[in-house]
Amino acid sequence: MYITEKRITSSLVTWEMNAIISLCHFCELHGPKILFCTQPFRPQEPRNLYGDDLETNIAHRLKSVSVAPNPSADAHSTPIFSTGSKDQCEGCKSVQTGYVSTDEDAQVSYVSTQQPYNPEVFARIRQACIRSLSSEVCPGREGPIFFGDKQCGHVLSYTFYIPDNQARGMHRWYSILIVMMDKIYLLNSWPFLVPHLRIVIENLQKKASKVFDQEEAKCPQRPLRLGAVVDPNNFIKQRGGNKPARSLQELTGDKSVFRMLHVAFLWILKACGNRITETLLEAPPTEDTIIDMEKQEETEEGFIKLFTRKADDFDSPHEQKESEMRPMEDKELDHTICETEVEDPLAPVVKNLRHLRKILESSNFLSLAHHVVVGNQVIVSGQQRPLVKSILETLKSFLPKGCCRVIPYSNKYEESWKCNFLGLSPEVQLSQHVTSSELFVHIEILPKLNILPLKEVETPLNSWSGPESDASDPDFDGDTRLDDFQFKMSSTVTLPPRVPTVLTRMLMALQNKNLSSEVVNAVFTCLKEEWMNKVKVLFKFTKAGGNRNEEETKKLLQIVGAREEDKQLLKFWITGLSMQYRQHILSTSSHSYKS
Amino acid sequence: MSFEDDETPCTYVGSFPKGFGYGPEEAEIEGPVNPGEEKPRILLMGLRRSGKSSIQKVVFHKVSPNETLFLESTNKIVKDDISNSSFVQFQIWDIPGQIDFFDAAFDSEYIFGGCGALIFVIDAQDDYMEALSRLQMAVTRAHKINESIKFEVFIHKVDGLSDDNKIETQRDILQRATDELNDAGMDNIHLSFHLTSIYDHSIFEAFSKVVQKLIPQLAVLENLLDIVISNSKIEKAFLFDVVSKIYIATDSSPVDMQCYELCCDMIDVVIDMSCIYGVRDIFLSRARDDGAFDNESASFIKLNSGTVLFLREVNKHLALVCILREDGCENRGIIQYNFKCFRAAIQEVFVARNKQANKSTGHPQMDLLVNGQNDDELDSDETTQTNGGAMASGHGLLNGSLLQDDD
Ligand SMILES: Nc1nc2c(ncn2[C@@H]2O[C@H](COP(=O)(O)OP(=O)(O)OP(=O)(O)O)[C@@H](O)[C@H]2O)c(=O)[nH]1
Ligand SMILES: [Mg+2]
Repeated sequence: MYITEKRITSSLVTWEMNAIISLCHFCELHGPKILFCTQPFRPQEPRNLYGDDLETNIAHRLKSVSVAPNPSADAHSTPIFSTGSKDQCEGCKSVQTGYVSTDEDAQVSYVSTQQPYNPEVFARIRQACIRSLSSEVCPGREGPIFFGDKQCGHVLSYTFYIPDNQARGMHRWYSILIVMMDKIYLLNSWPFLVPHLRIVIENLQKKASKVFDQEEAKCPQRPLRLGAVVDPNNFIKQRGGNKPARSLQELTGDKSVFRMLHVAFLWILKACGNRITETLLEAPPTEDTIIDMEKQEETEEGFIKLFTRKADDFDSPHEQKESEMRPMEDKELDHTICETEVEDPLAPVVKNLRHLRKILESSNFLSLAHHVVVGNQVIVSGQQRPLVKSILETLKSFLPKGCCRVIPYSNKYEESWKCNFLGLSPEVQLSQHVTSSELFVHIEILPKLNILPLKEVETPLNSWSGPESDASDPDFDGDTRLDDFQFKMSSTVTLPPRVPTVLTRMLMALQNKNLSSEVVNAVFTCLKEEWMNKVKVLFKFTKAGGNRNEEETKKLLQIVGAREEDKQLLKFWITGLSMQYRQHILSTSSHSYKS
Repeated sequence: MSFEDDETPCTYVGSFPKGFGYGPEEAEIEGPVNPGEEKPRILLMGLRRSGKSSIQKVVFHKVSPNETLFLESTNKIVKDDISNSSFVQFQIWDIPGQIDFFDAAFDSEYIFGGCGALIFVIDAQDDYMEALSRLQMAVTRAHKINESIKFEVFIHKVDGLSDDNKIETQRDILQRATDELNDAGMDNIHLSFHLTSIYDHSIFEAFSKVVQKLIPQLAVLENLLDIVISNSKIEKAFLFDVVSKIYIATDSSPVDMQCYELCCDMIDVVIDMSCIYGVRDIFLSRARDDGAFDNESASFIKLNSGTVLFLREVNKHLALVCILREDGCENRGIIQYNFKCFRAAIQEVFVARNKQANKSTGHPQMDLLVNGQNDDELDSDETTQTNGGAMASGHGLLNGSLLQDDD
């Protein structure tokens, strides 16, 4: 039985050793010791094997560990310390069994014990503990340092002292270690970890100072120690010096101090894990990727960042988790749109651009696309939220991410400077003021039953020069769910006769039936990136060079291969440049002015 | 009341002038000798709470013995640089008692490889059986790594023992330790034993002996001191490291503990007096913070016992302290004069050592010094000769100088 237990624990631990937090102590009698250790476990494995509840499983495991201590772990402890099992005083102990907390959603359990029971992990943490307390030097003695290597793991060690008037130096040294195998991750988490560790530490120190002051008031140490006369005739009395260290509970006057640490450590582990998600980059980041990263930075710490750009969607699960953990921080999320709704998987939606083209018919689709790429506001109104949302979502792929400002569904009109994609409930009437001053295209989704006479608002839709395609597309033939709707499109804007070059190329890709939708997506990405590069040139040209006249701009456009009909698009796409690029250009160009 | 402990263990300040310790070396004549050469290391080992940190603090940082009651237990190796003079240059490593540095987690080759002496401190007030087995282990392992280590055992905290007890304890420890070594077949290792306490001068005495073993020029220095006392009717002479009050050399007559204590007290008196009344340029003195010990520091003190104490600065960190009979100091001029010669000789020993150690010092000051001397002598051949004389007997130099000098 014992053997099986051990096998399971070890397979568990090696499987999920991304971060472990532990509290260590330098004992005056026994040197550096691990006191308390919190680590995450993913429970799938034992559950599959035993089919029993995780909690009892771990409790059982803990019990077996405390009854029969792991012999190999014990072997590790002997060489460094002078003696074996008598090397235990109150100061070196924390909890008998431990604490377990389970995060049902994430399927992770956080287990706190005095020592990690997997021998490999134990050896690692122990090594880190010795280094932290007995060899690494921290400038100023208290504070965070970093050390480690690939084999033993990378360590953030925060050293601090706890006042204790029984201690030889009137205080004892402790450290909190965070051990990870991933160095980059650890260093990136540093700005998050250090302040939170400091909070935990200051809490401990405050409690201990109170106890210290009380004890000092009762029995001041200084006269006591100075008064202890050395008597040559009974010097053996002097041996009292090796009195055992006191426990952290006693030093802080807090019986549940380790429970508090368990909660604090697991929160840090969990929040730290949610903080950074890894993205694999296969090439230099595209402008879209940079925009994504900037958006994340901005939402993760709440609203601290100076360059806030309006986030275009509020429904990523990552953000919601953050807001649950720190409810008061993410005020940005407190938006009317944020209300979560259970989406009906059978609700009619538009799947992709080809689908949309089929529904709208080529000519309408073309003019709609034209409106989108030059930055006119797209308003979609209808009763079916998922449908409205899906149309907006689909249209977004025409634009670089930085250009998309979306309000997926709203009960009142929002101006075009707030969003270029707007979903509206059908009750909303566009006021005279809006229809006369804003540049927009309006798509109304209406039920087919009460067919209204087709009435064009103001300007009739213009003629377009795109090639017609046959409407039958095998992909969507079977889908009749949208047959019940009709789509009415109207616009206040007269589109220029010629379609921007990049849009023509996009439409060609859409029309080519030989291309799968993945390929079309790739083509779109490339085209957008290609044109964003031209946008960058234009931006640099206008920002870096001061005033430019019409003629110069024209020449430049020629050079980058853009024509008259692309100008409006380029101007709009400039607004989509990443903050990073803008700042880079602005700082380097102001520099070039000086020199 | 606060028990703020010193934050950086090596810069403790008591009532002692701040900079009058082993701060960064100023470019004086006895500047760092061999820039590339590792300073010999003295390791302080022993069980936890045996008194290692206390020894280091009391001897080298002027911490009062009572203050050691509030020292925290050492958790890492504390390295303390003692580079005060040309002869006394070493590092003291205070090794925490709880940790086994022979463990694979530590680089024991590094720790013991460059080690000159290993001091093992045994708390005589405690049960010392565990300490003895640790001593045995440390000695055998360190010897394996580095055969040239000198082993010194401090039987410490003997202030708590009665005189009988002291002798008995020393005998017992000596017996057991050597027996164990013999049993292990390591009888080629020599252990020296010292009875010490931070509450009297015994710790300084013991440390002096440890340090002396690490000075290669010890024989020359002792020889020079012998010459001085025999030519000046001096009874006993010590060459002191002023800051630590350890003596780095003495003449060949036996050392009497009381004489040594007397000389230590004399240094205290001179330093205290200079601090209060000897400061000429208060700003300069503050800036250098050297306790006003300078090249004019000198003192004669006559005691009621008919003994006279004489102190004279040799260089920034060294002082010659002598004990003589009252009638011996009738001719102070000769003593003063012989002292000058002694001082010059010491500096020559230093230069010689330098030349020997590395031909090109790579140190501008050093080269200047060497050249300067050559200029004085005009004839460089003669210099070498005189140097050789000093090295060989010392006598020739002193006598020769007596004749040559016009002062
Ligand atoms: N009576 C007496 N007490 C001493 C003497 N030397 C040191 N002590 C006391 O011994 C205690 C421990 O001294 P430390 O110097 O801190 O011990 P340590 O060897 O450095 O201990 P670790 O750093 O734990 O390895 C202190 O309370 C000192 O006051 C001595 O010569 N006589
Ligand atoms: Mg110590």
